Amino acid sequence: MTPTPIKRTGFGMAAAMALALPLSAQELTIIRAQDSNHYDPPRTTAQSGAEVIFMLSDTIVGLAEDMKTIQPLLASSWDVSEDALTYTFTIRDDVSFCDGKPMTAEDVAWSLNRWQDPETKSPVRWRMGNVKSITAPDATTVVYELNAPHSELLYQLAQSFGSVIDKDTYETLGKDFGVTGFNGTGPFCWESWTPRDKIVLTRHDAYKWGPANYDNAGPANVEKVTWQIVPEAATRTVALLTGQGDISPYVPFIGYDTLRDAPNINVIRSENAFWTNYMGFKITKDLVGDVKVRQAINLAVNQEAMAEDLFFGEVEPAYSYVSSGALDYDETLNDGLLKYDPERAAALLDEAGWILNNDGKREKDGKVMEPLAISFTGEWQQTSEAVQADLLKIGIELQIEPMDSTVYWGKSATDEFEMYVMGYPYISAGDALNLYFRSANIPTPNRMNWDDAETDDLLVAGSQATNDADRAAAYAKVLHKVHDSAVWLPIYHRPMQIAYSSKLAPFEAHNIYGAGLYKGLQLAFTE
Amino acid sequence: MTATTTEIPPATSPQPDSNIGGSSDMTAPARAHWMRRLLRDRAAFLALLTLALVILGAIFAPLLATHDPASNSRSVMTPPAWMARGKAEHWLGTDGQGRDIYSRLLYGSQLTLLIGFLAVGLGGFIGSLLGLLSAFNEKIDPWIMRTMDVLLSFPAILLALALVAVMGQGILPVVIALGISSIPDCARVARGIAIGVMKQEFIEAGRAVGLSNLQLFNRYLLRNAISSIMIFISLRFGQTILIGATLSFLGLGAKPPAAELGMMASQGREFLLFAPHIAVIPSVLIFIIVLSANVAGDALRDVLDPRLQA
Repeated sequence: MTPTPIKRTGFGMAAAMALALPLSAQELTIIRAQDSNHYDPPRTTAQSGAEVIFMLSDTIVGLAEDMKTIQPLLASSWDVSEDALTYTFTIRDDVSFCDGKPMTAEDVAWSLNRWQDPETKSPVRWRMGNVKSITAPDATTVVYELNAPHSELLYQLAQSFGSVIDKDTYETLGKDFGVTGFNGTGPFCWESWTPRDKIVLTRHDAYKWGPANYDNAGPANVEKVTWQIVPEAATRTVALLTGQGDISPYVPFIGYDTLRDAPNINVIRSENAFWTNYMGFKITKDLVGDVKVRQAINLAVNQEAMAEDLFFGEVEPAYSYVSSGALDYDETLNDGLLKYDPERAAALLDEAGWILNNDGKREKDGKVMEPLAISFTGEWQQTSEAVQADLLKIGIELQIEPMDSTVYWGKSATDEFEMYVMGYPYISAGDALNLYFRSANIPTPNRMNWDDAETDDLLVAGSQATNDADRAAAYAKVLHKVHDSAVWLPIYHRPMQIAYSSKLAPFEAHNIYGAGLYKGLQLAFTE
Repeated sequence: MTATTTEIPPATSPQPDSNIGGSSDMTAPARAHWMRRLLRDRAAFLALLTLALVILGAIFAPLLATHDPASNSRSVMTPPAWMARGKAEHWLGTDGQGRDIYSRLLYGSQLTLLIGFLAVGLGGFIGSLLGLLSAFNEKIDPWIMRTMDVLLSFPAILLALALVAVMGQGILPVVIALGISSIPDCARVARGIAIGVMKQEFIEAGRAVGLSNLQLFNRYLLRNAISSIMIFISLRFGQTILIGATLSFLGLGAKPPAAELGMMASQGREFLLFAPHIAVIPSVLIFIIVLSANVAGDALRDVLDPRLQA
């Protein structure tokens, strides 16, 4: 997109509002939109939790920016048994916690066992697979035994949930672990947290075991990192322009052009973000129970226009439920994707018996087609309104109920809607499909009520496959199945975009769980 | 009704100019007279004219609108026609969804005014009735007024939040919440005015000639208090519109894609830095409506309230 005069006006206003605060060169301020409920690794599923936990602690293995290459991290190497049931990790012997205590295989096993302990109530325990036992036979060995193979295990172990923490600190702090303090082996250490304002981290000087995707294995280049919450999107843009913050992965789409034009800001982008925003159908509801209706809705919505107009060309219009770059995406899906075709949409509705009435609305057996969509407020409300306007053109009167995120999560677990909105990060097609389409995950995150025995079997087959081809084949079948049933209306794939001050050395964006800065070892001031 | 044969003094009779002392308090000036005086006040004239234009615009929105207010287009965030990049087709520009702001303003003021009228009507009617009853009957007075004190302690916004939680988002809970929150103020003012009226000799005279309570209330109290109450309600109108717009701004009022001025301002908030017109234009219209309502109410009070007359 070319810069437009209106955006230049915005830049001028921002400059006029400048209140640049001088910052010590080695202190980095990252601007973000929201806080996490706490920072206890296995118990928070918030993206804002993960992005800080990755800096505070390490996982047994790491993941490279390409989202495919597993890197040694706390484990220097590992062996997988032939039946794919036993993973034997060799743990580094030179790792220490922030308080100076050496870390051993015992700590790794304890942290992983805590993740799978039902008492921890981790909402993402399923990511660990069907665990038989996790033990540390000696100070440098961890044995992870499964009851059934789990093809994505290493990817899942790279997620923040399995971060290794110090048992003693956890026992001292109890429920306050990750609230009043933290003790991990990450490149940064916990200094203080003011909820909904900022969390301050200081450099872990002894750190030298960073994953191989970074040139710098440690210690970190910057002395201090402050994650500052700025809830208002426009203010985040201004904060970067005026130098009040050095980096932000949370710039509103409308702000990127302004930032790219600004001499003191660079923007990096990665298409491997694997973050998809979609609207799901509650397929057990009458109004959207017919696959033809769901297909018609898919055909009536112009994702391309939305991507250009609403999101200023910063996103990729989505027609598939998983980004085509993700591991195990099936290319043969591309032929059958439902792209904008309002005429076919109208024909499908006619076929399904939903006929235009005198008011221009679709009607069947005296019932008017007015499905209810629940939505977050803010950016999602704009998206829902655009969908609403597109559907109106084929006679569907979508009702929107926008609500605050604090209310939305509870509401989305009910049966009181036909459509809902959601955006989600994933590392592979299998990760995405297992999350959403298992019947055991009804009512949430399987809010569609997709209950299909064959899907369940295929998902188990994919997750227990012992070779890549079998796994890909099983997931491909599920992808075809759910796409054919049009259980979602995909809207866009969001790239990872990070705006940063030109005072910083260029770096590559990461994508794991939406945490674009990952370990923070790459961040360095050049002046 | 034993007094049917008695000659009932006409309701307007207890306001002769010749009344001695301060008893001309309740005198209504001659109608033609106040109208002329109102229009002579330039600010008031302008305010009334503006209000009339906004109301007419709202009523004839379907005729005046150039676009469907709910229909989006590919030209998003077009600035107003007089600015660079502006288009004559959308003379006030378009919003984030490419909808015509001018057409949405017309439909938006329809909803905003409707919320204001309904809420003030509801609150004003119930409140004034309670206030008048309170002044008329000393026995129920403390009951009513203490209930009003309780109601007074509920902020309108909190009440609306609770109602929206129960009833779901929409215009109705907002109207009810605003109506309820107007009740205590109207009741207190109506009671104050009515107490003054009740002290007048004609009330006693009416009682003496054997008028029923209903007749006394209706003919003597109500008719003499109504103009002052109406002034208060007209002043309350602007305030109610403002709170109504605030509630919509917070996402509690109208449902998308309906246009409502507060909601339109809220939708533009996210683009304030880049396309300020989306939020500024509806906000300016809210400002104009509220200002006009307040100026007109003030002027009405000036000409109608005898206490302010020399």
